[in-house]
Amino acid sequence: MKQAFAIGLVVWAAVLGVACRPQKARLPGPPQDRHAPFNYIGAKGMVVAAHPLAAEAGLAMLKSGGNAVDAAVATAFALNAAEPFASGIGGGGFMVVYQAATKKVTVINFREKAPAATTPAMFRDKGEKQAEWRQERGTAVGVPGMLAGWDYALAKYGTKRLSEAAARAIEIAETGFPVGPTFSQINKDEYEKLLKNAGEGTCYLNGGVPYEPGDVYKNPELAATLRRIGREGIDVFYKGDIAPKIVAAVRAKDGIMSLQDLAAYRPAEVEPLQGTYKGYTIYTPPPPATGGLHILQLLNIAESWPLADWGHNSPAYIHHLSEAMRFIFADKERYDGDPDFVAMPLARILAKDYAKEVRDKIRPDKTAGAYGYGKFDPVQDKKENTTHVGVIDKDGNIVALTQSINDFFGTGIVPEGTGFLLNDHMADFSTDPDSPNAPRPDRRPVSNMGPLIMVKDGRPFLTLGSPGGTRIFPSLGQIIINIVDFGMSLDEAIEAPRFFSYSVDGKVRDLSVEPRLPEPTLAALRALGHKIALKEPYDKYFGGAQGIMILRDKKILLGGADSRRDGVGAGY
Amino acid sequence: MTKKQSVLFLAFFILIAASVLPAQTPPAVFEQPLLVTSAGQSSGDAQIALQLTKKASLTATLSKAGTSKDLENQKTLVLVLGASMKGLGSAGLDTNKEKERIRELVAEAKRKAIPILAMHLGGAQRRGELTDEIINEFLPAAKMAIILRSGNQDGLFTKICKSTDIPLVEVDKSLDAVEPLKKIFKK
Repeated sequence: MKQAFAIGLVVWAAVLGVACRPQKARLPGPPQDRHAPFNYIGAKGMVVAAHPLAAEAGLAMLKSGGNAVDAAVATAFALNAAEPFASGIGGGGFMVVYQAATKKVTVINFREKAPAATTPAMFRDKGEKQAEWRQERGTAVGVPGMLAGWDYALAKYGTKRLSEAAARAIEIAETGFPVGPTFSQINKDEYEKLLKNAGEGTCYLNGGVPYEPGDVYKNPELAATLRRIGREGIDVFYKGDIAPKIVAAVRAKDGIMSLQDLAAYRPAEVEPLQGTYKGYTIYTPPPPATGGLHILQLLNIAESWPLADWGHNSPAYIHHLSEAMRFIFADKERYDGDPDFVAMPLARILAKDYAKEVRDKIRPDKTAGAYGYGKFDPVQDKKENTTHVGVIDKDGNIVALTQSINDFFGTGIVPEGTGFLLNDHMADFSTDPDSPNAPRPDRRPVSNMGPLIMVKDGRPFLTLGSPGGTRIFPSLGQIIINIVDFGMSLDEAIEAPRFFSYSVDGKVRDLSVEPRLPEPTLAALRALGHKIALKEPYDKYFGGAQGIMILRDKKILLGGADSRRDGVGAGY
Repeated sequence: MTKKQSVLFLAFFILIAASVLPAQTPPAVFEQPLLVTSAGQSSGDAQIALQLTKKASLTATLSKAGTSKDLENQKTLVLVLGASMKGLGSAGLDTNKEKERIRELVAEAKRKAIPILAMHLGGAQRRGELTDEIINEFLPAAKMAIILRSGNQDGLFTKICKSTDIPLVEVDKSLDAVEPLKKIFKK
């Protein structure tokens, strides 16, 4: 009896102890409804990424004393383990770095390159089969730049070793994690490709079929590959014994990559492209990343329109912006290429008076129907020149990083025993051998990526980026307008309904919308001549944007992460 | 134990047994060979269905946008229900054309007395307005349905199958569908 009383007393004391211990104030967590706008909050640092494990990896790096570049690379590595369908060491990307100490912005371009054996008509000559050769055969694989880019960034702007940046990714790949609905659905969508190229026994399938939500996905071969890279450096990938595995996998699927192509790969550090919108300055990678270029073009066109008077996502607003997108696509088709090889009239495309010319072609009462490109003197500019991660560290350094293996699960080709997927970024070249973006040796295909940093009065205000292919610039442009013109909070701006349209050969294409737009708005748009294509209410088609907003007066950082994918923020 | 007590005990035992034992897979009612096609162009789901039939050692052909001609020499039609805007775009189909294709296929199957097995393998993620339209229109034409349980959280499949007397087999994982497939097809 005494013993029971004593035990009871101890339990009661323990309960009281827990109950009376001073509780730390807790910030509210994300809402039950994953689509409800929610801003993650931080004071010192913040990481936003498309998977919680990746964001946590970046945050752990920040807390352990790493800077924004260290954290971005740790997050990027972790994404290879946790979100392998969207990016990884078999791909490439672009990183924008803001250094707080010097207030300098720089860009690291580690976009894939075309192998030396590339020829301009290599895809056109495949006729009706060209989509397969551009996306699923070995010819689809560009020389991966990811590791070279991360390594360059760490060596020049980071403080940690490659092995330290890869450590959390190795753990994730080894121990595994339950897949979410996004992974499962994409796995099902890309099943045929995986079955064909990776085979029934691949870790990207579960017993030969796609993963269901809750199934545990592990990739011990990727863990081993990353461990070797951490230990031996990136040469093991580009020149060591991983290189022949890559070449063998590519060639087994009729590809053209060689060991020399891999050994010759180098990333490039370049000056950012810059433009303004209503008092904000935007820094973004120059071509071959064209997302930023066309965001600036879109904002230039929209700058003089009475957007606030028209109202957010009103028929007039959507009509005018859609028409602007169609004219921009005409320029995109005509001029975009790798500026290391092709003269691009960047200054003219970005000029405010050219924006006015486009604006003048847009009629308020109907669609133009024909969308011609701007005619510029092609030599007036010198030949200079898909998942997103955003990081801010305690010193105010910022990284905006967009990286990809192109289509989900890339080509589906996995070099034997390595656990990583190879990209299909050769698909970003034009099939037209006369295009400035025709496939040619050593060139980088035009990319739609547009990671950016926005500055107000000389101080960083926002970093933003998104996957989404050709929808990147229209989606990021809409998010910026939502913030600047409609005063939305960051995540409200990200979650708001999106739309997209384009033109091909000057001909109008559908206006794709998220059906959260009300029917009267859609009816008004139909009356203006738009053919509406309804997508899902929160459709990955429109990207999966991530951003961080710096509210200096309140001394807080807001992280916004897109519920169209599994985006999250992690701050401290 | 009185007679009344015995009856009550027996009823209680049956109730407990029924709740513990797995749902019975209906007997073999389908014949081979079978044509697998998508209803809604979620082509990955159709490919999964084909893979499951292979694992069940069945003779199957996949035609994602199959037409009446493809039913030649087939003895079962497998309709994999699930809409994908991406899949429709890749197949060069819009919603109306896709529905029309399935209507013709189902009508032809009916004319040829080919039974239909409906499958839904996309789970909760593959539910939505268009998928639901397809389920509502074409599930009642099936002789049996095999679905992922997660795609039936709102009971839509249960409701339609009950009202039309269609045996419904729910599985937790797509691989769990292999055993029922083995049982419902004649050797």
